[in-house]
Amino acid sequence: MAAGALTCLMFVVVALNAIAAAAGLALFAVAIWVAVDGYKLYPISGVSGKDDIFAGAWIAIFTGFAFFLTCIFGIFAALKRSRPLMLVYLIVMFIIFLFECASAITAATNRDYLVGNSHLVKKQMLEYYGQDTIQGKQITQTWNRVMEQVECCGADGPQDWILYNSTLKQMNPTYNWPLSCCKRRSTFELQDPEGCKVGLTSTLFTKGCFNYIESVLSRYTWAVSWYGFSVLMLVFFTLVIAMLYYMYLE
Amino acid sequence: MKTNTVIRLMSLMSIWMWTGEGQAFHPVLTSNAFLANVTSNTVILKQPYCVFNQPCPGCEIWLVAGLCSANGKFDALVNNSTTNILSLSPYPTAFNPSSQNFFLTRVGLLSDFPCNQFSNGPYFVVGADGICSGVNCNGVLPDGSTVCFKYLLIDANRTLVNSSNWSGNITLTKLIPLHTIYDGLSARSGAMVVITTILCVAVALLLLLFLIMLCVTCCAKKDGKQISVMNSIRIPRYDTHNLKERVHPYDNPAYQSDLKNYSTSSTLPKDGARKL
Repeated sequence: MAAGALTCLMFVVVALNAIAAAAGLALFAVAIWVAVDGYKLYPISGVSGKDDIFAGAWIAIFTGFAFFLTCIFGIFAALKRSRPLMLVYLIVMFIIFLFECASAITAATNRDYLVGNSHLVKKQMLEYYGQDTIQGKQITQTWNRVMEQVECCGADGPQDWILYNSTLKQMNPTYNWPLSCCKRRSTFELQDPEGCKVGLTSTLFTKGCFNYIESVLSRYTWAVSWYGFSVLMLVFFTLVIAMLYYMYLE
Repeated sequence: MKTNTVIRLMSLMSIWMWTGEGQAFHPVLTSNAFLANVTSNTVILKQPYCVFNQPCPGCEIWLVAGLCSANGKFDALVNNSTTNILSLSPYPTAFNPSSQNFFLTRVGLLSDFPCNQFSNGPYFVVGADGICSGVNCNGVLPDGSTVCFKYLLIDANRTLVNSSNWSGNITLTKLIPLHTIYDGLSARSGAMVVITTILCVAVALLLLLFLIMLCVTCCAKKDGKQISVMNSIRIPRYDTHNLKERVHPYDNPAYQSDLKNYSTSSTLPKDGARKL
């Protein structure tokens, strides 16, 4: 291959690696954001044992940073025009590619189990809310915070608490639903305790919390899955060009 | 004839309006749109305004709440017994298997519910006390059962003065058990399918291209053409001059015999071309 064309190919490889390094670093940052769980909804997936969205985020942290380091090594290997170094680069990138694929696929698949419909979240809430176990306390805390901040009640609405048997009902037959479902004044006291108890619709939240929970968990999933997928497509393209470069070296 | 029908219509209307003003002569569900009007163990009724229109100083309105199947039993007991009907069926044992299946609880003083203050707003929650232990406490009803109610007018001596009709059957909601909620996979989202298939294809392609690349580079090494380059040749003796000391070229063609001097073995290259 003519020397000029080889140099051009080398510059393309270097440029693509630079972009892939930046993308890998961004994947690292986004995966850290997911793992930190700013919306504090981890107990909903943790108690059910289906927390692979967060497992995918942890893998993406490592693969994102690994992409960054390996792409910098790739820039160095391309500039050196060294075949052995390029081979090492290709093998390492391929291994990281596999791990990142696993992360993206796992996160997307697990999201469907968790929030495909409201049944799992509803069943978990009815079973664990108010229960005295560690999981019960976590779920109670999480749901109280969600219901008060998002101004919602139950998974699909307050009727969830009336239609289904629940731990709360067994423990406390006088309350139809948790007090967090009731509207409060700015001083945090209940607006109308008696009205909330009987279900006066102006004194309690009537929309369900599932939409909010689903949107947050989907946001986490798409951050890991879709962004990971786009990084992988860029890396795929980079690796194909790098393989071409390897073939034409020397 | 015409006046007859008019009078009939007017009297019908006045009766309708009079009954519309007051409450029906039996307990009714509240007309408020509360979410918990009928739950699995509580019911919200209208307060008994204008149910008992008679003057009765110091009288109280009591509620009989029980399974509809026990209506006849209660009526028979009330007619026959002379004992205090309020303690006929204490709440804690009311719904045991061989019990009466009803209980009595106090709603309020008759004077608290006068006709002229009637409105549809005020409500009374049956079951507000939860699982309680008093004889006449306002405890919860059995889950999912069909219940009926009746108002009683009790005077200060705890004797029955009047009683309303039985209400209609009210079926409590049956609690759905948790194990019937199917929380398995509902459906796979399109995004997941797209990501999985494209990534699997990409990995396979990469692997294939990688193997092809390795094959091509390894094979190219083995059977390539050897290009040999001639380096400079070392000759022991290098005759550049076709004349030695003996002959002048421009002198004499007779020295052609000296050609031999220019092609002795000592002048020819000894090692041949060096192969690369």
